[in-house]
Amino acid sequence: MAVCVAVIAKENYPLYIRSVPTQNELKFHYTVHTSLDVVEEKVSAVGKALPDQRELYLGLLYPTEDYKVYGYVTNSKVKFVIVVDSSNTSLRDNEIRSMFRKLHSSFTDVMCNPFYNPGDTIQSKSFDSIVSAMMVQSS
Amino acid sequence: MAQCAQSVQEFVQDSFVPTVAVLCSADAERVTRRNNLSFPELLRPFCRLTSEGHLRDPNNLVVVVKGLRISVTGVNTQPLQPGEVRKLLSQAVSGCQPPEGLPANVVTAGDYDLNISATTPWFEAYRENFLQSMPASDHEFLNHYLACMLVVSSREAAPTEQFQRLSQEQHRVQHSGEYTHPKWFIPNTLKYYVLLHDISDGDEQRADSVYEDMKQRYGTQCCYLLKINSRAAAAGPAEQMPDPWSQYLQKSRAQSPVSPAVLSDALSESHPLELDQTSNLGYPGNPSVAVNSIDTSRKQGGLPASSTPVAHGACLTLNDHDRIRQFIQEFTFRGLLPHIEKNIRQLNDQLVSRKGLSRSLFSATKKWFGGGKVPEKSIAELKNTAGLLYPPEAPELQIRKMADLCFLVQHYELAYSCYHTAKKDFLSDQAMLYAAGALEMAAMSAFLQSGAPRPYPAHYMETAIQTYRDVCKNMVLAERCALFSAEVLKSQVKYSEAAALLIKMTSEDSDLRSALLLEQAAHCFINMRSPMVRKFAFHMILSGHRFSKAGQKRHALRCYCQAMQVYKGKGWTLAEDHINFTIGRQSFTLRQPENAIAAFRHILINDSKQVATQQSAFLREYLYVYKSVSQSSSDVTLPQLPLPCLHSAQTRVFFGHERRLAEGEKQAATHVWLDQEYDGEQAQLWAELEEQVVGVANKGSVPIGFQPTQYCLSCHTDNLRYPLAVVEEPIIVEVVFRNPLKVPLALAELSLLWKFTPKDFSRPPGGVPGEALSNEKEVTALNDIISTEVIPEFTIGPEETKVARLQLLPHKTGELQVLSVLYSLGTVEEDNGTTSRPTFVRGRQDLEIQGPRLNTTKEEKTSVRHGPDHRLDPVITPPMPLLEVFFINFPTGLLCGEIRKAWVEFVNVSAVPLTGLRVASTHPEFFTFGCAASDLTPVTPTASEHCSAYKTMATPPSVAATMLVSPAMFGVSGDDRPTVAEIPLVGGGLGPGEALQIPLWLRGPDREGVHEINFLFYYESVEKNANHRVLRHKAFICASRSLSVRATACHSNTLPRRGGAEEEGGSSMLVFVDVENINTSEAGVREFHIVQVSSSSRQWRLHTCINPTGDRDSRLASRERGKLCFRATRCRTQEGETHARKYTFADLNLGNEQIVSSTTPCADFFFRRGSPSEAQKGGVSVGGANHTRRQSLTPAGGADDGVTGVVQKCSEVELNIIVLWKAYVVEDNKQLILEGQLHVALQTVGKEACSVPQKEEAQEMVLLKFKPDQPPPVSRPTLEQLSRLIKTCLHYPESYDHPFPQKSLCMVPVTLTLSNCSLAQVDVIIDLRHKTTSPESLEVHGTFTWLGQTQYKLQLRPHEVQRLVLKACFFQAGVYNLGTPRVFAKMAQAGTMCETSQQSSMPALIVINSV
Repeated sequence: MAVCVAVIAKENYPLYIRSVPTQNELKFHYTVHTSLDVVEEKVSAVGKALPDQRELYLGLLYPTEDYKVYGYVTNSKVKFVIVVDSSNTSLRDNEIRSMFRKLHSSFTDVMCNPFYNPGDTIQSKSFDSIVSAMMVQSS
Repeated sequence: MAQCAQSVQEFVQDSFVPTVAVLCSADAERVTRRNNLSFPELLRPFCRLTSEGHLRDPNNLVVVVKGLRISVTGVNTQPLQPGEVRKLLSQAVSGCQPPEGLPANVVTAGDYDLNISATTPWFEAYRENFLQSMPASDHEFLNHYLACMLVVSSREAAPTEQFQRLSQEQHRVQHSGEYTHPKWFIPNTLKYYVLLHDISDGDEQRADSVYEDMKQRYGTQCCYLLKINSRAAAAGPAEQMPDPWSQYLQKSRAQSPVSPAVLSDALSESHPLELDQTSNLGYPGNPSVAVNSIDTSRKQGGLPASSTPVAHGACLTLNDHDRIRQFIQEFTFRGLLPHIEKNIRQLNDQLVSRKGLSRSLFSATKKWFGGGKVPEKSIAELKNTAGLLYPPEAPELQIRKMADLCFLVQHYELAYSCYHTAKKDFLSDQAMLYAAGALEMAAMSAFLQSGAPRPYPAHYMETAIQTYRDVCKNMVLAERCALFSAEVLKSQVKYSEAAALLIKMTSEDSDLRSALLLEQAAHCFINMRSPMVRKFAFHMILSGHRFSKAGQKRHALRCYCQAMQVYKGKGWTLAEDHINFTIGRQSFTLRQPENAIAAFRHILINDSKQVATQQSAFLREYLYVYKSVSQSSSDVTLPQLPLPCLHSAQTRVFFGHERRLAEGEKQAATHVWLDQEYDGEQAQLWAELEEQVVGVANKGSVPIGFQPTQYCLSCHTDNLRYPLAVVEEPIIVEVVFRNPLKVPLALAELSLLWKFTPKDFSRPPGGVPGEALSNEKEVTALNDIISTEVIPEFTIGPEETKVARLQLLPHKTGELQVLSVLYSLGTVEEDNGTTSRPTFVRGRQDLEIQGPRLNTTKEEKTSVRHGPDHRLDPVITPPMPLLEVFFINFPTGLLCGEIRKAWVEFVNVSAVPLTGLRVASTHPEFFTFGCAASDLTPVTPTASEHCSAYKTMATPPSVAATMLVSPAMFGVSGDDRPTVAEIPLVGGGLGPGEALQIPLWLRGPDREGVHEINFLFYYESVEKNANHRVLRHKAFICASRSLSVRATACHSNTLPRRGGAEEEGGSSMLVFVDVENINTSEAGVREFHIVQVSSSSRQWRLHTCINPTGDRDSRLASRERGKLCFRATRCRTQEGETHARKYTFADLNLGNEQIVSSTTPCADFFFRRGSPSEAQKGGVSVGGANHTRRQSLTPAGGADDGVTGVVQKCSEVELNIIVLWKAYVVEDNKQLILEGQLHVALQTVGKEACSVPQKEEAQEMVLLKFKPDQPPPVSRPTLEQLSRLIKTCLHYPESYDHPFPQKSLCMVPVTLTLSNCSLAQVDVIIDLRHKTTSPESLEVHGTFTWLGQTQYKLQLRPHEVQRLVLKACFFQAGVYNLGTPRVFAKMAQAGTMCETSQQSSMPALIVINSV
């Protein structure tokens, strides 16, 4: 499904980035980093309107030629970004949403780990496996 | 999009200007050539009109033309080939670099502060050149020639004919159809006849007459007499004339080559782009090629510049300039504009006459206002007809022609409606190229209409671009369209649309264009209302990438550098590394090796997340660049290397030799070595020991400037002072390297770099210090001053932290400074058979150690300041003695209390004598060197193996032998334990190279377990004012349990017999000694024998053994327990008084051998024993502290207190029991006899004392008290204590025969002995009155009465014994208890009567027999 999954800290540095190993990792780093601009834009636009009932899911951030980038922002301003291959047209918005929700809950588990230091890169195996599951489904 | 110099309107207007062709006669050309200019070039600076022009449109409305510019070119100008265009553009871009030191624009977006060049002049240069090089197209007329200037010189023989000829020529060019270029706007092109007159050279009158003739012939509107060259060329170069041509020509020389020869010449040269690209591919193998290519491109770019020194317009005065300006104005206003006006009218008439067109024109306007819709056809449908071409004179094109004319003269309203109409016509004809052109221009004219009656139709532009690109496959037109559109969108603050448009225009076919457009898009992102920094950065990187592909390395580098600002330090390491790597490469090819190295450094220093292969590639690249840089530069100082990471703060410095720890039987003192980790507590402990020993050595006072000696300096030690190193003694510096990479690193020829200032300390101070020396140039060059160790190879594995120990050996005194580590850095090559040596680069890393942060003054607290750290700046001092200590037969395990003899060897390994050898220890009770007086043991260690450590004498067991000993003999003074002991050296010192072995007795610690024992040997030089040195040793002893001795003292009730052999006047005591074998290792220790019990005290001594059993040699097998009973007596008082400080040792041997306990080592250990109370205090606990305070609260003085003291004194006993034992141990099938001694200190009568220190109770939780403790009640002597004041004793016959029948009364004399135990006078009252309280006793014993005085009052002096003779009277035979007298005692001086009954008298039975 996804070709790249990234978790980005509130301060916009990466907590976790994983991409399909066959492809150029650097490219995804650039893509994800660039998409943060759109995330910020969307968050600031939405944040003004309804601070309480903010939708965490931001939808399609921006489509490039090869990929679609989707974003999601938790209440603590941690960003999730999922990059999907553009050719994959079968993917519905709802599926992306559910992926994000899964990711979020897994991330919450990571944060609940008393041995995890908030702000460190995520090295949780269970989180890894959740992400792998998201990436495997596509291929 | 970056800011531009021009406004959008200006930019568009200037892009579409009327073009005028020039046809010059050869003569006229020659005239202008004198100024190094062609005729069109001559005119070019003056082509912008400064005044307004006017013309009337078909509806007779006046149109004002402002700031019109015309373009004048030679008629034979060839359009450029695409290749040339590309070359031209790339030159334009590379020739335009951002100026150095330009105040950059700082954009603040969120957390980012970015330095961005606000303008992009290279882009403008590109755009200008691009637009100028646009080929004339059939579908539009904007850059077709509107007019043609025919220029003839006045010197011509027949100017009129010449005009004629030129006119025909022009006609031929336009109409013969032989030429595809140039293109002409309208069939009847305006011909403008110019007579060029050279003032300095020609006949003015003739010129005038010719001009008159011309006017006649062609009409005044179309003729002009231009007079130039008012001065000779050589008129004077001193005169400074403005050169308005230079700015035009520099740019345009290459672009409008006058002769085809130049063109072909330029073509034949290899293309700079291709060259750059190939060199780029070849990198890094052949940087020389890359460098060369830059040079060539520079040369090419600089070609016009190099020809500029040829001054333009040398023959022109300012007047001439004015004339030319005048000419252009005249031409435009009198010739060109009327011509255009006329043509517009004509075209309009034509159009109106054509029905369909007029209808469409009307309907167009109607539709516009009516809001009708033209059905737009999809692009896909139109594709097939893209190739449709109209003939040049097709009626469909006439309206477009008219629109273009209107557009050129700035009549945008009419132009718009015309374009709009044309667009519809073209669309209906499916002529897509024409339609797109019309759409584009319609949008432009809509935009340019002043007052903006209609919004800018952006979708027109979009459609136009799409059509150009997709249908017509004409990228050039699409690009032009996009450039305009983006500029317009930008002016309307629609940055994101502009960016999208620009990004869409990037394609694979042109890297330069893509690069420029991406850069502009990036600028759009940063200029948005909420700047999109990351998008900016990303597109900058894309742009940089395309720039580098296009060979624009400088621009590429600039782009990457700007993008770097966003990525830097934000955790996006992969991207950061990539950018750094690219920056490094680009900088290197641009010959900025410093920047390249800095960039590569960045990749390597930070914890790279790259995979190992990538890292090794980075590393190789870095080494390669570094090597090439270091080879080229002739700098003396070696550059700094980034790898491996050097942890300067963890650097440790050790002064002294590396020590061998064991050598056969000998075991060297552990001292200090780099392998030992720093332990703050230990360091503190050693420092305290040293302070103690220094205090002792300086006769009790520690010098003010005392600082503990530090042999190993690290970040934990105090490094404020310059450490002292001794000449000819090595200095070892341990540096910590960490390899952050996943690939191994190889270091070679690792050594230290130092600076040394020689200084002779033996001379008086004030001498001139020698010159500072350094081994910078050659590592081992100055080995005669300081030998520098070089480690030839040192490999650090992936992500490994490794220490390197580098040694320096100074040979001269002076001041040394260790500056840095020198090494060659290289990669570890996989050994796959290749013999190629891996690249090594030489460099250094400085050891910069920051001292601790200062935090004392307020200033220091508020700011961050660091103190100095001098651990790397040792002072090399003259030779000092150096001691080495070896231990021989030093045990590792002992039984508790076991005495073992070992040997110590002291060796002075230096060339200087040493003296004043002392040792301090944390456990002085553990060892002794013996007292100076005793020297009775075998002299060599081997001979002593099977001898007892004690001095023995054969004596049968009998009464104790006594000996008086002063503790001073054993080095004990005062109550403190002697922590410092002087080591008896023969002759007081050790000469150079001398060795000395002396015995050492060890005693197993009293507590079981592992004990850590620290020895600090202190010694000093013979010379005065020399510093002392110390040597440390740390021993570990494992103590196992042996015996436990418990002793109790009781008052004996018996009084010494009067006139007995013992003359002890005082009392005696019973001492019970309980010995238990608590050894747990049944296999090892067979049994213990108690050999002897000795006592040592100032007041008491053991007297006799009164063991009930006859077991003389009491042996204890495992878990057995034995009891011994002794009688102790007070020492002779007179001796006790005179030798108050002396101890009486009494030996009671149980076997046949007496151990003389008053000598070494028994007495040594006795005096060195730790008092039990001290042991208890070992752990300072809360309870302990509380306890001491409470003690201090007790009010001092007072009578009652005196009483207490006296009373307590009375029950105090200070008797030390020494139990000497032998243990039979089986070890390796051999029986060994171990000896040992245990001490018990008896302090109070009746209180048990134990040799094994009681295990401390687990500290109970102490309740926190919020109220101060109640002061404890004034302690009064307890009754029990008081009852011990007086000892009583009844003497009477055990049985008494009395013939009761004869005599009914039996009188028995009884003696009551009273003995005062205290040191005070005591009043005693004896009451004999019968008061038996218990009725039971009455029953058992019969009654009797005391005769005579029933109450006595006595006063007893201290220790006085008095006897009272009493008489008891019995009435019948039986058993009686005589213990009825009650004794009351009172302190004589005591104010209060504290009378107590003494000693609940025990039954004293007497048997009265009747005979």
